[in-house]
Amino acid sequence: MTGRVIVITSGKGGVGKTTTSANIGTALAKGGSSVVLIDTDIGLRNLDLLLGLENRIVYTLVDVVEERCKLKQALVKDKKNPNLCLLAAAQTRDKSAVDADQLKSICEQLQEDFDFVLVDCPAGIEEGFKTAISGASEAIVVTTPEMSAVRDADRIIGLLEAKEEIKSYKLLVNRVRPNLVQSNDMMSVDDVVEILSCELIGIIPEDTGIITSTNRGEPIVNDENSPAGKAYINVAKRIKGEDVPFLDINEPKGFDAFLVKVKSFFGIKA
Amino acid sequence: MELNKRFIVDLSQAKTPADVVFEISNVLENPDAKNRKIWLKLGNVSLNQSQILSIKSLISSINSTLSLIESECEQTELAAATLGINTKDVEEELQAELSSLEPESPKDKPSEQYIPLEDYKEDEEKASSVDKNQTEDNTAAVTQEQTDNTLVAVAEEKQEQLNTQAPEASELPQTTEDEKQEIQTELDSIFDSEVKLENILSDEKDLSQMQNWPLTKESGVDDIEIPEEVMTDDDYAILQMNTQYHKQTVRSGQVIQSNGNVVIIGDCHPGCEIHAAGDITVWGVLGGIAHAGCKGNTKARIRALTLNAIQLRIAESYARRPDHIKNIYVEKTNTFTPEEARYVNGNIVILKTNDK
Repeated sequence: MTGRVIVITSGKGGVGKTTTSANIGTALAKGGSSVVLIDTDIGLRNLDLLLGLENRIVYTLVDVVEERCKLKQALVKDKKNPNLCLLAAAQTRDKSAVDADQLKSICEQLQEDFDFVLVDCPAGIEEGFKTAISGASEAIVVTTPEMSAVRDADRIIGLLEAKEEIKSYKLLVNRVRPNLVQSNDMMSVDDVVEILSCELIGIIPEDTGIITSTNRGEPIVNDENSPAGKAYINVAKRIKGEDVPFLDINEPKGFDAFLVKVKSFFGIKA
Repeated sequence: MELNKRFIVDLSQAKTPADVVFEISNVLENPDAKNRKIWLKLGNVSLNQSQILSIKSLISSINSTLSLIESECEQTELAAATLGINTKDVEEELQAELSSLEPESPKDKPSEQYIPLEDYKEDEEKASSVDKNQTEDNTAAVTQEQTDNTLVAVAEEKQEQLNTQAPEASELPQTTEDEKQEIQTELDSIFDSEVKLENILSDEKDLSQMQNWPLTKESGVDDIEIPEEVMTDDDYAILQMNTQYHKQTVRSGQVIQSNGNVVIIGDCHPGCEIHAAGDITVWGVLGGIAHAGCKGNTKARIRALTLNAIQLRIAESYARRPDHIKNIYVEKTNTFTPEEARYVNGNIVILKTNDK
């Protein structure tokens, strides 16, 4: 079995790389694939917190690289989903502890046992970024509809294009607020796609549930009613090659939604 | 809780205690391993008493009991025998049981007892254990029981399932030693076992989901016997160690290491690590990872005004914070409950300091 190695990156910090990694990983695992998540943000690890596995970590990526343990010993199994494993980053070291070749060989070993190897990339374009993309053949670029994030994403795409090993890269637009887009206060997803001229893999609406899910250490895809959770599940399906239409984030809510239903019942166009 | 069936785990290919535990923890993830009597078949691996105890608690965490150990190593057999675990030969036992049951005709429903081991285990190990399992199957093919809980399991060969291990047959029900105990242990090359005791009633559901790692024991402290304090050489060794004082907040990513005792006047935030050969004392909130007796002194202790550590390690044992404690933020309170963590028979026990 040769799994796919996908790096999740963004350039700018705080756009939701780690949240995206945790949720896509969980969604893929829920869909029956075996998934391993690698946190390469050494010194500033967060992925373990988002998955609620913080208290289980004994060995880390750095321990594997420095041969203090076997690779399989360092894999922390998820509480709920046996298909999902985490290879955590060390908190007490920095990015120089692991170099590109080492991570590449780890990715190659994990590829044999897992369908998906998701690499959570640190912010920035320095050493940590270069290490993180070293083993990957695909990339997901996360951005938000803000100029600064889009500029950084553009820079990242340029760096990814320059790397031969990366066969494909796709865009994920995070934290979209439909009402702001409608009032022209926020760039629309179409604008972002046009600026970056990059294939879209998902649109994640802004969802306050993300905050609570992060604090509780449970990915939001476990809550099937949340808009962001649904969107992440769709992203996971698209990664697997399914053709899933994008969620209509402009979908009316509450009373408006009710009106639309009533109207369509009587054959009136909404 | 009833222990219905025998469940043989063949680990004769495992070479180190860490391998043994890794394979066991893999096998135990299978739901079929629950409520069984586990028969362990070991090769030439030398396990000491506390390691066997850890394996035992790992097994009892899924409501099974460790009832038999077959080993090529004398030390292991001796240790198992002192713990009151049967050390007979697996095949002989099976034959004995078979012959005693032979007269009865086999009519009860057979059930499949193969265990697919999912993830990454050594291929050779698998292959050899499959072979052995198949021979065991044949001997165990027809068994029956006399008591009310009659259950017969005929293991069936399944060629496609190469990743199989541990067939079982029938077993008489037996009383378990301590049903309340919910322990998850795992031996590592470095950390032998981790057990955490808290005043929190066990949550069975939660525990069943965390079979890989979790070495928590969550039950009333009353269940555990705290041995009388006797001063040993180890205790005196700690008294004679140098003590480092740190008057600072230890933040995420910071590591404090010492060949003696460590005293921290201040909080230790989650993400920090403290390693000391002797005791660790925190005059504040301990939220990170604390490893006392990191050179192997089991008499080392960890004490803090508020003990909220992500992981506690003493010598080779370690414990992790229960999952249902979700306080990510350090709680600010005016009242402290000073607590002390100790090593008791391979487990880490947390005591309120005024409990003694």
